[in-house]
Order: sequence, then C-alpha cells, then structure tokens
Amino acid sequence: MGKAKTDKADGRVALPADCRIADLATVKAALEAALSAPAAVLDGGMVERVDTAALQLLAVFRREAAARGVAVEWRGASDVLRDGAARLGLTQTLELPAATPA
Amino acid sequence: MSTVSLAQFHQTFFDESHEGLDAMETALLALDGGGDKELVHGIFRAAHSIKGGAATFGFPDMAAFTHEAESLLDELRDGRRAVDAGIVELLLRSVDCLRGMFARAQAGQPLADAASEALRHELAAVVGRSLAPAAAPARRSDDASTGWAISFRPHQGMLAGGNDALRLLRELGELGELKAEAELDRLPGLGALDPSECHLGWRLELRGDVSRAAVKGVFDWVEDECDLTLEPLPGAEVHHAPAAAAPAAAAAPIAAKAAAREAVAAESSVRVGIDKIDSLINLVGELVITQSMLDTFREDFDASRLEMLQQGLAQLARHTRTLQESVMGIRMLPIASVFNRFPRMVRDLGQKLGKQVRLDLVGEQTELDKTVLEKIGDPLVHLVRNAIDHGLETPDRRRAAGKGDIGTLRLEASHRNGSIVVEISDDGAGLNREAIVAKALQRGLIASGEGMTDEAVADLIFQPGFSTAAVTTDLSGRGVGMDVVRRNVVDLGGSIQIRSVAGQGSVFTITLPLTLAIIDGLTAMVGGEHYIVPLASIVETVQLRGEQLRTVTGGGELFHFRDSWLPVLRLQDAFACGGTRRAIEQGLVVVVEGDGARVGLFVDELVGQQQAVVKSLEANYRRVIGISGATILADGSVALIVDVAGLSRQMTRRRAA
Amino acid sequence: MAKILAVDDSASMRGMVAFTLRGAGHDVSEAENGQLAVDAAKGARFDLVLADVNMPVMDGLSMVRELRTMPEYKGVPILMLTTESHTDKKMEGKAAGATGWLVKPFDPEQLLATVKRVLG
Repeated sequence: MGKAKTDKADGRVALPADCRIADLATVKAALEAALSAPAAVLDGGMVERVDTAALQLLAVFRREAAARGVAVEWRGASDVLRDGAARLGLTQTLELPAATPA
Repeated sequence: MSTVSLAQFHQTFFDESHEGLDAMETALLALDGGGDKELVHGIFRAAHSIKGGAATFGFPDMAAFTHEAESLLDELRDGRRAVDAGIVELLLRSVDCLRGMFARAQAGQPLADAASEALRHELAAVVGRSLAPAAAPARRSDDASTGWAISFRPHQGMLAGGNDALRLLRELGELGELKAEAELDRLPGLGALDPSECHLGWRLELRGDVSRAAVKGVFDWVEDECDLTLEPLPGAEVHHAPAAAAPAAAAAPIAAKAAAREAVAAESSVRVGIDKIDSLINLVGELVITQSMLDTFREDFDASRLEMLQQGLAQLARHTRTLQESVMGIRMLPIASVFNRFPRMVRDLGQKLGKQVRLDLVGEQTELDKTVLEKIGDPLVHLVRNAIDHGLETPDRRRAAGKGDIGTLRLEASHRNGSIVVEISDDGAGLNREAIVAKALQRGLIASGEGMTDEAVADLIFQPGFSTAAVTTDLSGRGVGMDVVRRNVVDLGGSIQIRSVAGQGSVFTITLPLTLAIIDGLTAMVGGEHYIVPLASIVETVQLRGEQLRTVTGGGELFHFRDSWLPVLRLQDAFACGGTRRAIEQGLVVVVEGDGARVGLFVDELVGQQQAVVKSLEANYRRVIGISGATILADGSVALIVDVAGLSRQMTRRRAA
Repeated sequence: MAKILAVDDSASMRGMVAFTLRGAGHDVSEAENGQLAVDAAKGARFDLVLADVNMPVMDGLSMVRELRTMPEYKGVPILMLTTESHTDKKMEGKAAGATGWLVKPFDPEQLLATVKRVLG
C-alpha cells in the first residue's frame, strides 16, 4: 500500500490507495510540505478507499492553498475519490476534474 | 439458508450452556456464604450467554425465562438488591428449570411447561414486574412526506468512532434522491486540523416517499454524536401512512421458529483443549519423520545398518505408545463435572433429613474416560444419597455418640495403579452387622449369620432387594438398590468394595479402568481360538490335578481355592468351540472375579499378556452373552474378549435354575 | 471481502457469526474475550470488529476503549453484539467508542445486512 509521497521540487502529492482516517497523519504531512512549493499537484488516481476524514483533509488543504496563493492541480482522481467527494458535496470545493485526465 | 445453518450450532450451544449452568450452580452455592461481587458477575455472564444463545438459536421460551433470571441477577450485580438465602434458592431452582428446558430442547419437545412458566412469573414478581400478556407496543403512525430537509452536524468524535459520514449519506441516498451541500464554516486551517476529528456539516435534501423513521434509522447509531434536524421539504405534502419500511426484525421470529423445528441431533461431543490437539499434531509429525527414516531401509539395507533399524523401530514403538496415550487423553475429562452436582444435592438432602453435612471433594481434576464419566454419575449419586440417608446421623444422635453435630461426607478421586479410584466415605454410624444379618435372614439370602466374616456381611447389602432403613424414605429410590450400583460399576469394567466400622463410618471404594477403549488382557487359547481375559478381573492362574476337582449333582465341577469352593467354567463348553483338552491337568484354570463372584475359567493354554483395542461386537455383529467385545491381534486374526461378569451372572442363574 | 474479528466467549454465538460471515466470503478471525481480541488486533488490521459485551477476562466495553487507543483502529467500525435493547446500555457501548450495535437475537441475514451497511 503506497504511502503519501511528496516531491519537494514540484509539490507533488500522491494519495495512497487506502486513504482513510487511520492513515491521514502521513497524508497531512505530505500536504503541508506541498504548500511550500510554488504549485502543488495532487495525484488521486490510485485511491481505492476514501472516507469523510480524508475528503475533509483535502478540503482544508484546498482552502489553505487558496489562502496562501498556491496553485493546486489534480494529476488524477479515481472514481472512488470523485464519487466520495460528490456525495459529500465537496466536488466544487476540491475543484475535482469532471473525468480522469488521460 | 439461515434456518439450516443455525441448527449446526445447537450442540455447541447445549454443551456450553451445560457448563454455564454448572458454573452458575457452583457460584450460587458459594454465594450462600455472602455476596461476592466476582461470583455474581460470573453468574450473570452465564445467564446472559444462555439468553443470547437461546434467542439466536431459536428457543424463545428459554430466552424469555432466562431474561427474568437475568433481570434479577442484574439487580444483584448493581447492588440494587442484596443476596439472601431466598434469592439463592430461587436462582438455584431456575438453574434446574433451565436444565429441564435443555433436556426438552435436545429431545425436540416444547421447552416451556407449567412449572417453568410459574417460575418465570415468580422471578418477574421478585424483580417487581408483572408479566401481562405482552401488549403490542402502540405504534405511532409515522408521517411520511415527499421529502425532507435535513441538517446534519456531526460532533467532532463521530468519524473516529467508526461512523463515516460518507457511509451515512450513501445510505440516505438509497432511500431517495439526495442532494448534499457541505457546510465548511467550521473547518480549521491545515496546521490546526486533527484529521480524525470532524468539522464538516451538511444540509441535505432527500426527495422521495420516505418515512421519518426510515431517515432516523440511518442515523440510529449516531443519535448522540451529531445534531440532526428533519423538516418536511417546503411545499411537500405531509400525509399520514403506515411506516413504509417494515422493520427487518419482524421476519426474525419466524426464521427462529423454523430453526427450532430442525431436528436436534443429540450427538455426543467432547470439547478438547487446543494444547491436546497441538501435541497430537506434533506426535504425528514425529511419526511421519520416523516412518520416512524407516522407509530408507527398504531400498538400501545391509547388516551394518541393523542397529539403526532397531533404533528406528524402537522410536516407532515409543511414538505409537505416546500417540495412543494422547488420543485416549482426548476422551479424558475431569471428574469435576460429576462431582459438581453433589454440593447442591448434599445441601438439599441434608435440609430435608435434618442432618448437617459437610462435603469434602478431593481430586476433582482427576480425568476419566468420557463414557465412564457419563455412566458413573448415577452410581455415585446413589452412594451419596445412601451415605446421607443411612450413614450419617442426625445432630442429636451424633452428640449422643460423642461426635460433632456436623457429619462429613468425602468424595475422593485419584489415580492408583493404572486405575481410577473413587472413594465415598462418611463418618456416620457405619454398617449395622446385626441389622444386616437379620434382614438377610428375613429375606432368605442366608441360612445363618454364624461364622460370617464382616466382609461377607457387608457384601450382603449388594444383594438384590436389600434395604436396612428402619423407615423407607423417599430418597433411596425404591427398586434401585446397591445391587444395581454394583452392576453399573461392573459393567464399566470396575469393582466396588465396602469397608465399615460400626460407629465410625463407612468407605465405599470404586475402582474403574482408565478407559473402556483399551484393556490389558491375558490371551488364552481354547480349541485353537484366541480369547482375551481382562487382566483386571484375574485373581490367579492355577494348574489343577484331577483329584482337586469335585463333581456335584447336575454335572457342575468345583475346586478348592483359598478356603472356598469355586465352580469351574470350561470355556470350550461355554463358547462351544470344541477344545480337545478335557482332562483338567491338560489345561489351566484362570480364577477370575466378576460381579462379586469368583469362577475358575478352564482354558487350553495361555499365550501372553497384551493390550487390546476393544471393538464393539454389538455394533458390528450382535450382542453375545459372555463376550464383551472383540479385538484384532497382531497377525490380523480376531480374538473375542471374555465378559467375566456376564459369564458369572449366567452361571449363577443356571445354578439357581 | 473484509477482514473481520468476531469476539464472543460463547463458542456457539462466535461460531454462528464466523460461519455466516465466512459464507459471505469474509476473512474471519475469532477471539474468546476482549483481551485476546486486543492481542489479535495488534497483529492484524481488521476492517470490522464484532464483539459481545459480557465476557470474562476483559469485557467488550474495555476492549473497545483499548482498541480506540490504538491509532490504526481510529475509525474502524466496532459493533457490539448486545441483548440489551435499552437505550442506556447501547449508549454505554457508544460512550466506550463503539460504532454501533446489533441486538441479539439476530439471524444470519440480519448480521449480513448490518455488516454490509457498515462496510458499504
């Protein structure tokens, strides 16, 4: 199971396959690190399981990034991730793409 | 699927419930002395498990009964009610009642009867509830609407407790068309966020013909972990209709009843400790290693490896013996399960007869074969009753005899020389020689008591129909005498002896084989066939000369052995196997004892001593008088096992006829 | 398929729960009391824990409290198998950290429905 990873240089964060409450400490750390790059890239293409806590964390991150003027781009979002966000009414907040980019 | 699959757990449920009831009884008796909190907890747990299992496995009557007992126990547990003798008595009766219910459950009969119903009401009355026939709960007719506006604000800890808002909203979405709008106003900054806490809230619109109850049902686990409001959607019609979603639970009792009808196979089972199984697996592992080692000799063997082969064979023998012991060990259970019923019984009997009895149980962990254990219960019960009824005296009499008011009854189990010995001893009046002799004379059992040894007199009480109690109490169970006790013990391959000193008490000693599955026997040849005589029944083997035989009228033969005359039983005649050695000098006489009588078995020759794995003749062929089973010999041939007690009974009958 | 831990001192109840869930394709482990459940939980990460309330050695409530102190059991559904339909008894479990409850008696269908509800 992949851990959340950040590449300092381009602020890229890969969300783990199991992206749920018990494993969010590392995701949060990765997101905090991404905020120090000029632009952050979120890769949610591998997410197989997601819960409210994870989506809330992403929402908080987006708002924080916007406040700090850090651009955020999605490099991928799995169906699970997009379905979860939609059900919680967070699609717009997270600015998720309508479909997974090729 | 549910009804079929549940029946397979019935036996486990019965087994563990019997253990639970035994534990309850033991703890209740211990409570008698005062309310120990841990004991009360244990009793509550046992009742609680039975109630849960009974309800789950389709025994609603039992669940209802246990529920009342549990309510009472709950009050004891909380300290709302103090433990007193009356409560203990009531709970002990409840334990008995539940045992009855289990017996009926196993027999596939209705569980509740008048007595259990009366006791259930008694329990309920103690707790302060009257059991009116259950009135159907007044159901508030649920308002349904064409939709709901829901405000849902989880408390911070809801997610960590396992209730994911995403899951709840997904469930809501299954009821109708759901639109969710997240409320972000309480979200903290990233640095301040504890990701496991919930700071989101939602305004939800649920469209569809959904009852309030159905919506509430989605949130039933989180009622106290969120702020929830439900409003009918503006413009939506509100109308009253019966709840749309019938509770799923309504289907359950029907399924449960169907499960109860499943025939309950009263198969017998043993619970085996995992350590015993592990050691078996280890042993089998060792065997496999030894076997593969021995296998190498098949292709590559010369004299130089002889010593290795011998070592391997010795190892194989050792493992086989250990494996045999371990497998037998699986059938071994502590005698505690039989002993446990006595504290209660002794207490009840003592009260009934106005006698004070202290019961000492020793060696409760001594293990017996399961079959022996199941069959030894009744004889022991009879002996214990007997000891209290006839042996121990009333406090007045004890004082008059210079003894303390309280009589002592002691049950002790132990291993002795490869057998199990159970002793039932009391410090009561002992056997009354004069009374026994008088009774035996009256019954025509003996012609005269003159010159009879104390041992012989004591032995008279094992004769059919013997009773010395001045007043026949209702406790001694008419028709069941000491003769039946001896019969039961002998049928188990055991023996019973009595020692008694007038004024000081009696000791009954029961000796039982460790197991019924394997016996130590002496192999004898009769007419070219092998017979096995159980070693436990052999007194001595003698060679007789013709002049030592006396022929009596009717063709019987007697010989002199240790101050008495014993009959000779020629196995060749008994089993019609045509032995050729007719003259007594040509063969051997094996003196055996069974059912309290000694007989000399005449055989052609003795082959040797060996352990025999008993195979049932009854199960594989049919019951044969004088034969208790069969075994397979090392060469693959079959040898019959001589039933000494059966043979001597038959002889006695023949002589009497 | 989920990894599920069934905790009950009654072998018949535990057997019924495990049998039913295995039949539905789940990977089920069993524990006889709360202490053994906590030990088992340390070595494996379960997706769901189903536990009786009244057990010797360690009861269900203490077990839930203990599991909730472990970071990896944050948010993992833990359901109490209770015979109590009283609200206060259910709430005791909730207060200890349980996710919800399943009231005994339940039959295999109800069990599966509840498990499906929790696991989604």
